[in-house]
Amino acid sequence: MNKKHRMFIRMVMASLLRRRSRMIVALLAIVVGATILSGLGMIYYDVPRQMSAQFRSYGANVILTPSDGTALKDSAVNQSMAFFPSEQLEGYTPYRYENTKLHNLPVTLAGTDFASVLKTSPYWHIAGTLPNQNGQTLVGKHIAEQFGLRVGDSLEPINSFEVTEDMDVTALLPEEVYTDPATGERYCDHILSLTVAGILETGGSEEDYIYVTLSDLKDFTLTDRGYDIVEVSAAAREDALKGYLTAINQQVSGVSAKVVKRVTASESTVLSKLESLVLIVTIVVLALTMICVATTMMAVITERRREIGLRKALGALDSSIVAEFLSEGLVLGGIGGLIGSILGYLFADVVSMNVFSSAITFRPLLLPITIVVSVVVTGLACLIPIRSAVDVDPALVLKGE
Amino acid sequence: MFFRMITGAFRRQWKKMLMIAMTVALGASIATAMLNVMLSVGDKINEELKAYGSNITVVPRSEAVISHLYDVDETEEQAEYLPEETLGEFLTIFWANNIVDFTPLLDTPATVNGQEVPVVGAWFDHHLAFVKKGTTYERNTGIINLRSWWDITDGTWLDEAKLKGDRYAMVGQKLAATLSLKAGDTFTVATDHGTETLTVTGIFESGDDEEGMLFTTLSTAQRLTGAEGQYKKAEVSAITSPDDELAVKAAKNPDLLTGDEYDLWYCTAYVSSICFQIQEAIPQASASAVRQIADSEGKILEKTELLMALITLMSLIGATLGISNLVTSGVMERSAELALMKAVGAKNGQITRLILTEIILTALVGAAVGYFMGYAFAQIIGQRVFSSSIEMSGMVAFLVTILVIAVTLVGSLPAVRMILRLRPSEVLHGGH
Repeated sequence: MNKKHRMFIRMVMASLLRRRSRMIVALLAIVVGATILSGLGMIYYDVPRQMSAQFRSYGANVILTPSDGTALKDSAVNQSMAFFPSEQLEGYTPYRYENTKLHNLPVTLAGTDFASVLKTSPYWHIAGTLPNQNGQTLVGKHIAEQFGLRVGDSLEPINSFEVTEDMDVTALLPEEVYTDPATGERYCDHILSLTVAGILETGGSEEDYIYVTLSDLKDFTLTDRGYDIVEVSAAAREDALKGYLTAINQQVSGVSAKVVKRVTASESTVLSKLESLVLIVTIVVLALTMICVATTMMAVITERRREIGLRKALGALDSSIVAEFLSEGLVLGGIGGLIGSILGYLFADVVSMNVFSSAITFRPLLLPITIVVSVVVTGLACLIPIRSAVDVDPALVLKGE
Repeated sequence: MFFRMITGAFRRQWKKMLMIAMTVALGASIATAMLNVMLSVGDKINEELKAYGSNITVVPRSEAVISHLYDVDETEEQAEYLPEETLGEFLTIFWANNIVDFTPLLDTPATVNGQEVPVVGAWFDHHLAFVKKGTTYERNTGIINLRSWWDITDGTWLDEAKLKGDRYAMVGQKLAATLSLKAGDTFTVATDHGTETLTVTGIFESGDDEEGMLFTTLSTAQRLTGAEGQYKKAEVSAITSPDDELAVKAAKNPDLLTGDEYDLWYCTAYVSSICFQIQEAIPQASASAVRQIADSEGKILEKTELLMALITLMSLIGATLGISNLVTSGVMERSAELALMKAVGAKNGQITRLILTEIILTALVGAAVGYFMGYAFAQIIGQRVFSSSIEMSGMVAFLVTILVIAVTLVGSLPAVRMILRLRPSEVLHGGH
């Protein structure tokens, strides 16, 4: 490194250090600009993902039904679930419906997996608790009103059928089975003893069902025929979902997968609005902030017209003056950009934790982008006042015009 | 003299003053735009969320009780209806303006070509005029907006206003395939109460059970059911406030609220208070929230509002720092001039007054310009994103003015303090 270069670096550094208060003003402006740039950038990139997860509160957006009119088997369900990327799959819940009688009135029993049911139906309002073992039941509000059921009450739906030779009767109690003396045929009134753990309020058709565990339903009906419907909640956009479903419909036999249009179509509409809201807000705020940074830089440089004039009077070349001031600006821009991008990340993380209770994904690419933008904006902002100062006759500048 | 000095300063230093005014204007425009967007984002997103359909259902109150009391079998259960006149009552409740759409529904099993078909009667885009106590309430409402996710695959929506008579139907895709119906076809639907010949206006794809159903006008369904002037269920889509503690407490039993709590609850657009008001207006009806829609709406609204509030806060901090920064440097720059004034005998108080008046006048001009710029930005955002204008709140103008004055004052503080400590001889000598 030759002498000239060393002198140049010394001049830039000395100027930055000597004029501390002014430089802090300039640096602060750049840091604020860079913080907003990287913070909003990160929020903008993360909002669709985070919001999409919020929209899962509408519940299942895909349903699987048997394509051949029978029932869904575990193997087919597991095979289908493999098509959803695991980080997008919020959960899935199988349902099996059986008609039966309670106090001689027809009711529908729904067997389900209570461990996953709130993943696909987060909007269920339960008075009491969710059943966590066999023998407990969740009763729809209509049914509860109809039969006057409260939490803790017991109910005993009865499954009446004719006992045939090929039936597995190990689950039946001896006193449930009786023989018709006239025909010699054996009948059974199989009872399922349930305790109401909770009462379900949804405002929808779910209020008309009695929910029990799948194994209770299996014991009650003496069969395990599979599921009538499987609800799936996946945090994916409509297009991606349709892609998975096409693959499932083609490759898994016996399964017909459909999107719940009400949920997916509405989600696309609202989510795209939200995204464009954040985008346009980001653009407006960024543009204004950058102009703000530029004006501050311009003010700081304009102040130093006397210095420029003095240098020129002493014989400095225009180009060397421009180069020096510009590098001062660029050093400031670089430092400010770096500090700002880190602050921006911290800010975005605070926002994400507060709004969505999850950490923000760090976008490494935003770091260089923020620094480059800060450097370019400061550079441009310096250039304009320097050029006008350099173009002026030093005598005029020094005189204080 | 004071005024002459101030006007003089503006005339001589107009470039610097312009710079300060411009920065203040930029900061103020960010603040104005963001505050206004933040305040109205809830309403806007709420309107968008109406795409999910109704969040309240209204059914006859006695439906659930009848079968319990008399132990009647489901199949023989006496159908319970609500009179059609009660629909107008929706327009008379306290939160009527928050009710965006509603439709009555009347379903009945019927047969077409010997095949069992569920028929649903509804309003499509019905013009309702309701007179109560001398006031006429009017509204166009119906299922068109409550089924925004329907794709019309063939034909058009059933347009009640344009079509003559009421013998039309819209058929779900699945049902249309089994009956091999397409738009423009006519077919006969029969029930115990009579037969109707209907024309298909459109085939729809809905992605749910409704694809296997046939939708017709309410009046046609009433004739098919023998329930003239009646309906079975109403779907209501209302703009609601997210539930909070008060709403949860009220949902359990409104009678347990204290007087003040009750008033607050009644006058807030909670889904539970709207349901309560519907039941007040139609005593024979029971209104309940569709949890899937009502709860999710609340959650998403809350998140969006919080997100926007934090982005706004960030922009405000940025704008504030930007303004105070420039004000600080603007005042410091003039140390020589101020030192000279001190040298010729000006008192500290006088100088401070002079400086602050100058700066605040500049800032206020900047703020005024910024407010209108912010208005423009808010409208751009509103039009771009929601295709509707954003309402400007008077509070924002007030807030921005206060903010700008406070920020300018705080921004000039360190500079003023420095100036007061200045030793004129040192500054004028040039060595600081």
